[in-house]
This record gives sequence, C-alpha cells and structure tokens, in this order.
Amino acid sequence: MTSAPVTARLSLRSLRAHRRRLAGTLLSILLGVSFLTGTMVLGDTLRANFDTLFADANAGTDVVVRSADVLDSAGTVGGVRAPVAAALADRLRTIPGVAAAEPSVQGAGQLVGSDGKPIGGQGPPTLAGNWLTDSRLNPYRLAEGRAPGAPGEVVVNRGAARTGGLHLGSTTVLRTPDPVPVTVVGIATFGASADGMGPSTFTAMTFDDAERHLTPRGAGQAGSIQVRAAGGVSQRELVARISPQLPSGVQAITGAEATRESTQLLSGRFLSMFTTLLLVFAGIALLVATFTIHNTFAIVVAQRTRENALLRALGAGRGQVLGATLAEALAVGLLASLGGLLGGIGVATGLKALFSALGFALPTGGMVISAAAVLMPLLVGTLVAVGSALLPAVRAGRTAPLAALRDTGVDRAAEGRSGTVRTVLGGLLVAGGVPVAVLGATDGPSVVLTAGGALAVLAGTVVLGPVAAAFAVRTLGAPLPRLRGVSGVLARRNAARNPRRTAATASALMIGVAVVTLFTVFGASIKATLDDTVSKSFAGDLAVTTSSFGAGGSGISPKVADTLAALPEVRQTVGLGRGVARIDGHGRTLDVTDPARLSGIVDLGRVDGSLDALGTDGLAVSRSEAQQRGWRLGQSVTVGFTDGASGPFTIRALYEGGGLAGDYLITRQAWAPHRGQDADTMVAVGLREGVPLSAGKAAVAKALAPFSNPQVQDRAEYAKSAASGVDMMLSVVYALLALAVLIALLGIANTLTLAVHERTRELGLLRAVGQTRAQLRGMVRWESVLVAAFGTVGGLGLGAFLGWALVRASDSAGTGSFAIPPGQLAVVLAAGLLAGAVAGLRPAGRAARLDVLRAIAAE
Amino acid sequence: MTTLDVVRGTAARVADAVKIYGVGGTEVRALDHVTVEFPAGRFTAIMGPSGSGKSTLMHCAAGLDTLTAGSAWIGETELGPLNDRRLTLLRRERIGFVFQAFNLVPTLTVRENITLPLDLAGVAPDQAWLEALISIIGLGDRLRHRPSELSGGQQQRVAVARALAGRPQVVFADEPTGNLDSRTGGEVLGLLRRAVDEMGQAVVMVTHDPTAAGHADEVLFLADGRLVDRMERPSAGLVLDRMKAFERGRS
Repeated sequence: MTSAPVTARLSLRSLRAHRRRLAGTLLSILLGVSFLTGTMVLGDTLRANFDTLFADANAGTDVVVRSADVLDSAGTVGGVRAPVAAALADRLRTIPGVAAAEPSVQGAGQLVGSDGKPIGGQGPPTLAGNWLTDSRLNPYRLAEGRAPGAPGEVVVNRGAARTGGLHLGSTTVLRTPDPVPVTVVGIATFGASADGMGPSTFTAMTFDDAERHLTPRGAGQAGSIQVRAAGGVSQRELVARISPQLPSGVQAITGAEATRESTQLLSGRFLSMFTTLLLVFAGIALLVATFTIHNTFAIVVAQRTRENALLRALGAGRGQVLGATLAEALAVGLLASLGGLLGGIGVATGLKALFSALGFALPTGGMVISAAAVLMPLLVGTLVAVGSALLPAVRAGRTAPLAALRDTGVDRAAEGRSGTVRTVLGGLLVAGGVPVAVLGATDGPSVVLTAGGALAVLAGTVVLGPVAAAFAVRTLGAPLPRLRGVSGVLARRNAARNPRRTAATASALMIGVAVVTLFTVFGASIKATLDDTVSKSFAGDLAVTTSSFGAGGSGISPKVADTLAALPEVRQTVGLGRGVARIDGHGRTLDVTDPARLSGIVDLGRVDGSLDALGTDGLAVSRSEAQQRGWRLGQSVTVGFTDGASGPFTIRALYEGGGLAGDYLITRQAWAPHRGQDADTMVAVGLREGVPLSAGKAAVAKALAPFSNPQVQDRAEYAKSAASGVDMMLSVVYALLALAVLIALLGIANTLTLAVHERTRELGLLRAVGQTRAQLRGMVRWESVLVAAFGTVGGLGLGAFLGWALVRASDSAGTGSFAIPPGQLAVVLAAGLLAGAVAGLRPAGRAARLDVLRAIAAE
Repeated sequence: MTTLDVVRGTAARVADAVKIYGVGGTEVRALDHVTVEFPAGRFTAIMGPSGSGKSTLMHCAAGLDTLTAGSAWIGETELGPLNDRRLTLLRRERIGFVFQAFNLVPTLTVRENITLPLDLAGVAPDQAWLEALISIIGLGDRLRHRPSELSGGQQQRVAVARALAGRPQVVFADEPTGNLDSRTGGEVLGLLRRAVDEMGQAVVMVTHDPTAAGHADEVLFLADGRLVDRMERPSAGLVLDRMKAFERGRS
C-alpha cells in the first residue's frame, strides 16, 4: 500500500469512507450499463439464433431458382417477386447433378384455432405453401404425424398448433382468404427444433391444394424452385450448370446465398430496428445517469473543500488533488460497469421474456456474448463516470489552500461571471434552436432541420437550468407556505438554495419526462390522424377487417363484399384489396376495388374525371401523388405487374388523398389477370336507411360466419382499432423509458441525501427549537417534490414543443393532425410529482432519525 | 400563561439526576445524583470545567437528552414519560434556546428566525411583544436580512429574541457568548439580564466564562457530575477565585 501513488491511496480511502454517498452514482451507472449490455447481448443472441436457425433449416437446399424481377414498394418486406412456372422443376431434374427439384408455392393463409379465433396475424406473417416431399429440401421437419397426401390435409408448424390448440386429427379452417376446410395430419418444426420460422405461422398442404388455393386458378405458378445437388456437386457448380438452361428473367442462386438473404432480411430490417430502438433508450438512460453522476461528484467535491484545501496546504499539487477525484470516479465507473455487465445478461434475458410476453415471438437458443458487448459497455460506463467527474475534479484541483481555514459555505453556489456566460450561452442555444425547429416543422417540412433545432433547444434548456431553477422552484412552490407553514417555506427555500444543483438534479428527470412527453404527443397525434382519416373518408356504417391491416393477416375473401351486399339490411358494400405494381418505374401500393361502388361509403373528396369509367386500362390517382410526379388527368403511365406483364394505363380520375384509399385505385377487372392471391383488406358496408346499427351489425356478423368471422366494427370501433398498434408501441416505449426515469429519481434521492448530510446542524437546530419529526420529514419530502416538479413541468413543456415540431416536420403531406392529450400528460405530471415524493422518502427518513444533540454539535 | 405565573414557583428542575454514557469499561457518569431547581424570574449560571457535566445537565433539563435515572421537570411537567413528539411540542411551546453557534436557519430572514418556534407551532405571534423584542435587540432595520449578512454578535442577539419570542417558561443558553468578543458578548448577556429583570423570564446559562457568570443571580458549580457549590449574587472576580480553588482542590 505504501508504494501506491498517494492519489490512488487517497481516492480509495475516500471511496471506502463515503460508500454511502457514492452508492447512488454506482447504481445509476450500473443500471445504464446493464441496459446497454443487455441490448447488445440480446441483439447478438437473436442474430446468432436466427442465423443458426436458417442455416440449419435450409441446409439441404443447394440452389434456389426464382424470378430475377423484384418489385420493391414501401410496406412489402423484401419486395414482391414474380412467380416462375412450376413445370420448370421437371426440366431442372434432367440436368446432371440435380438430385431433386421441387416447386415451392408460397402464399398467405391464416389458420383458425380450436376456439374459433384466427392464429397469429398481429404483425408476423401467416404463411401457407406446399409441403416439399423431398425431406432434405424442406426446411420444416415432421415432429408428429405424416405429410399431407390428400386434398384438405395439412401440416402446421408446432408453434401455431400450440397457440391454436390444434392436434393431429383436428379439423379447422384455413383462410386463404376464402375459407378452406382442412384436417391436421402432421405437426412440424422449423429446422430441427424451432417451433416455427421466428414468430410466423406456416400451413403446408399438397402441391395441388397449394396451387388451387394460393395461386390464381390453373396458372401453374410457383414462388421458386428448390433444388438439391447430387453428391459431389458443389452449390456453385450446380448454379453454373443450371443458369444457362433457364428462361430469361429467371435466376439461380446458391442455397447459402438464399439463406443469407433471408437472415439479412430479418437481421437487417427487423433486428437492427429493434436493437437500434433499444440502444437509443440505453443512450437516454446513460445521458440521464451522466447528470446524476456529475451532480454527485460536484456535491462531494464541494463538501470536501476543506479536506482538499488541507491537502493543498500540506503541499499536494493541483494535479494530485484532481487525480485523486478522477481516480475515485474511475474506480466507481469500473466497479459499476463490471456490475452492469453481469446485470446486462440478466437484462437480456428479461427483455427477451418481455418482448415474448408482448407477442414478439423470438427464437430460442443460448446467450451469445461477443467481445464488443463486453468492451463497449465497460468503456462507455467508465467514460461516463470519468467524464461526469471531470469538471468537479478540475474544481477540486483549484481549491485554494486557504479554504482550509475559511468556514466555506458548501451549500452556496458561486454565481457571477459563469452565471452570465451561462445565461448568454443557454439563451443563444434556445433562441437559435426554437426558430430552426419551428422552421423545420412548418416550412419544408424537414425532420433533419427540426431534429437539429430540437437538440439545440434541449442543450440550451439544460444550460439555462441553473438560471431558471431558483425562479421556477419559487413559483412552483408558491402554495407551499400556505399548505405547510414554515416547514413549507423552508422546503421551498431549500430547493432554491443551490440553483445549479437543483437544476442538475432536475435536468435528469426533465430529459426523461421530455422523451416520455414527446412519445405521448407523437402517439396521440398519430391516433388523431388515424381517427381523422376514418371520420373524413369512411362514410359507411360498418367496417369488416381482419385482425391485422398490414402484413400478416390473410385478408378477407373477395366474395365477402358481394355476400354482404345481398343482405336486406345492407344498402351498399365495397371491398378494398391491396396490390403492388411498378408505375412508371417506381414500386407502389395500389388499392384494388370497384371504384363505382365507393361513392357513399368511402369518401374520396373532390374527384376530377370519373371513377366509373376506369375500365381495364385506367387508373385513379390521388392529387398529391399526381402533383408530386407531375401527372395530369388523361395522361398515360406504364404499369408493370408482379407477373411480369406491363402496359399503358390512362389516368382517368384524380381524388383527394390521405384517406382510407391509398394513392392509386385500379379496378378488379384490370387487376385480375395479374393477381396473385386475391384478398380484400377491408370491406366497407353502408346500411339501408332506418336499419338500426346493432341490427345491421348482427346481420353482417351472421353472414360472415362461413368466412370464419372477420371482425365487424362500427365507425368508432374501427377508428379505435386502427390506433391500437400505437398504444402497444407506446407501452413498450414507456417500459423502456422507466429506466431513465428511475435513474433520474435515484439522482434526486442522492442529491437530497447529500444535502441532508451537509445541513445536519441546521436540521438539529430546527428540531431543538420545536420542529417535529413529521414536520421535518415533510420539509425534505416537499423539497424533493419541488425539484421533481421543476423537472417534470420543464420536461412536459419541452417534450410538447419538440413533439409538435417533430409531428409537423415528419408530416410531409400536411394531412396529419397534432394532438396534445391532456389526460395522459396530467398522468405524467402526477407520476412525476409522486415519484418526487417517493424519492424523498429515504432522505427524509434519514433526516428525521438524526439525533438532535449530535446534529447540533456536528462539524 | 402570563408573566406573573412564571415569576412564582419553579421554572425547571431536576431531581436525583443520573446520566451515564457508554457501558462497562467505557462507562462515563456525566451526572451523578444531581438535584437542582431553576426558580422562575431568576438568572442561573452553571459553571464547571470541561467534562464536569454542565452541558449534560442543561440538555437533560431542556428535554434534548434523556436521564438514565432521576427526573427532569419543566414547570409541573415531568419530561421522562414524554415521547419524542410531546417533547418537541414542549420545547417549542415552553422552552427557549440560545446555542453557542449556528443558532439561525440560513434560509430564513431575521424576522422569520425570531418567529420560527411560533411558526412551527402554527401560532400567531403577539405583535406588540415582538416589536418590543425587536427594538430591544436593536435590529429593526435588519429584519429582512439573512443571517449570513449579520455579524456574530447580531446573530446571537437574534437568537435571544427568538428564545424570548414565545415567552417560554425557561430559556436555556449554552455558552451563548463562547464565540463572541467581550464587548458583543456583554451586549448579549445584557439582553438576557433585561429579560430576567424586565420580563420576569427564567434563564439558565451554561458557561465557562466567569465574566459571563457574573451577570447571573446565582452560579451553580459542577465537577465530575456532581453539584459541588453554589454562589448567590456572584461577581466575575469571586467566580474566578472559586474556580481557581476547585482547580487546586482537584490537583
């Protein structure tokens, strides 16, 4: 020990002596690092799990033959590929080196569970296809039962069977979307042991069944042809042999490449979005922790002024005192980060369980911990600790030796020059940031501009914090003296006593609350927009939808619209289907419908031209899309379909966009020759005059029974269900933000504990002259509430402004709504105040337990 | 409670008081069967060398500390059976305190510090009495100032005013002049003296300064936790002689 540098010895001593003081710091870093590690470990683990899964499942596929033509459009993951002729498989089998070749039909099909409810469809795809008879080509393996051999026989993946309560011999319905009665004859795993391909469901039938139900009748089409090589022929070699034999527009790739593509699709899109989201929240938590840690060190250094001055008086150099404080931070940072690493593995397990519970089915497999997932968090945690302690350490080094002799008031902030610099700098940041954010929101709009402005405003607010703290706390605490008498007066003045400290403490919470508010406002605005869309453009009485309106659900049988139209209660119906096509070279989503039947149920606003005469070579385009692409009524555009066909279409009508219908409308007649699996995503129903809503709804629901009961909703229900995804997303975000808020509260508790410690004599005096324990506890708790109130109110204001700016900036069409949900924000405010009271509990308890005599005599 | 009631009888007393700190080998007997009365309307000084138990006696008599054996009373109220809350209420309603240092709450103004015990009790101060006190301590123009803006002597005068503001049964002063020079110390002692003479206030003061003790009506001498002597109508010289005699007797 004697050989250790004096600074290291000093800092270790002081660590041991002030364990309690630094406990809060330790915990904040630990939590933040845990989250970061957890996120990274989870990302690595999932990526590795998916990789193994696909590699295992596709191990027997050596070559995949498929169309080279991919149609990419927003909303279709991986694009839509044109089909190939199923008969191509027969030709491939004749090529030397091909051991097996089988057409693979892939489509959508949603199983109905034994309880009558559809299985899955809340986002992950519900797939259907043919059962590949070559067991090594088939990524699925039979776990029970046998392969389908007769019409109506299916194999389902084990996960789907379990969810739907299906067993061997169960009879149920497969929605393709026309209901197909099926019998389960086999249950399969994906690869050797997974319940399915990620969270998706899969129903496999005979090739004939698959062709009948999943492709346009008699087309003889398949999604791809899977090929297995004979022994001794490599994948590359086989590709080289096959390629020259293929018709134009068809390509052959190796199985390894195909596997890489599917894992990249998952890792690249789903997983990186997922981990990026988590990393952002880990970053927020660590940012909040930075404030907490900085504050703790600032206070500890202030409290140690005399000690440091004594060291300086005895001959310690600036560098030595600075070094001692930094070494202390380094030790705390390392220790906490190491603890955080361990915690992170627990967090990864917990997050996986959380997301599974929320319905994101994730693959199983062991935890994968990469070197980066260990080193990064360790480095970040330590840097955060040392970086946060840097300014306080410099201040400690600057301690004048004479301060040892002076009775320095540690609880008084040195304002003055730095206060002016602060005001000017903060003022400039806010004054510059607000107009930039507003400009980005209103003129443009530009998300980048707004985000830049928002960051400047955030930084400015933090810089201005100490200037605003005293005023804000005094204002917010104005009712306290009346409520709590002199203890209230004291709470209010204590909170305003050291504005810099109060601001730093509150800033942590402010950032947390601002992000919560931002998301709340954003979510409410999306909901308002959806609500607006429905009320503006849905003129019908009832909406028939499947459980998911995006990818996943199988859609609604196109027969539904006609079936319902025949009901005596129903005046009119129209179905809206969805397809993708390439329009003048750009992949776009089309609404396939009967435009003539839209009027009165789906309101398209002002229509130029005529919807009735689109015919088989006409399109209707939204006005904003037409404007953007410079089209006029009567102009001709080239439409390329997924089956490879293309032709000129005339724009025969322009309509108001932003409603239920997307940017393009095409007739069923025009779409039919090129369609894949035909399905509507929604059927709008208008009831006859005088038919009560409930009676109409009952009649429609009854008529839908043969179609395995898609949802029937009235207008309000429809609007609400359209927004339900937003609520789920918000609850995930809230759960992730809870950590940042928790760290902020730890910060408040920590600052208060330190403040109580340095006010020991004052507290003793108050107790001596007659403050009861209850009054003292109340005083500390109210101080905590005031600091929390400052942070919460600041965060609400900041978050609401940034929310507004981002909502506006990201709404390029200018059709979105902005909404501030007063109820939810009131809950945030109440939660912030309550949390402040909770954070004050422990410091208040400790303060109240002080022994009066010892407190008065304390140094 | 009126001033007249206080003038008669006993403001505070301890009977057969024993206070032991620590246990076994480290046991310290700070008070060893002490019985003493502090009459109403009198200025009593408690003297003794360091470790004599004089501060312990004051703390126990004032309800800041509890006795190991024996009893302590404020007026007719025995302190022993009172819980922390009752003791606190008693302190703020019936006792005034002046400590050696750190007497004032730094965030409160001079006026707020004076009325602090009354405010804690939620009692409106007697305005006329308050004005009288303020004019006596001579800080009428500093009422809105914070303690940090006052000199040490001024701070102690404010502390005296606070102790007197609620017209308590007894004021306990613990080395009230310990941190002051002799002139400002004299001012503070003069204030305490006036409180006894003009307001009929009972004052108990712990001090090791014979000059301070010279302002009292009676001085009690403590040594090794026992009451060893008392002196009526003391003067600084007499007290000093008596202290020197004790020192000689001990060595």
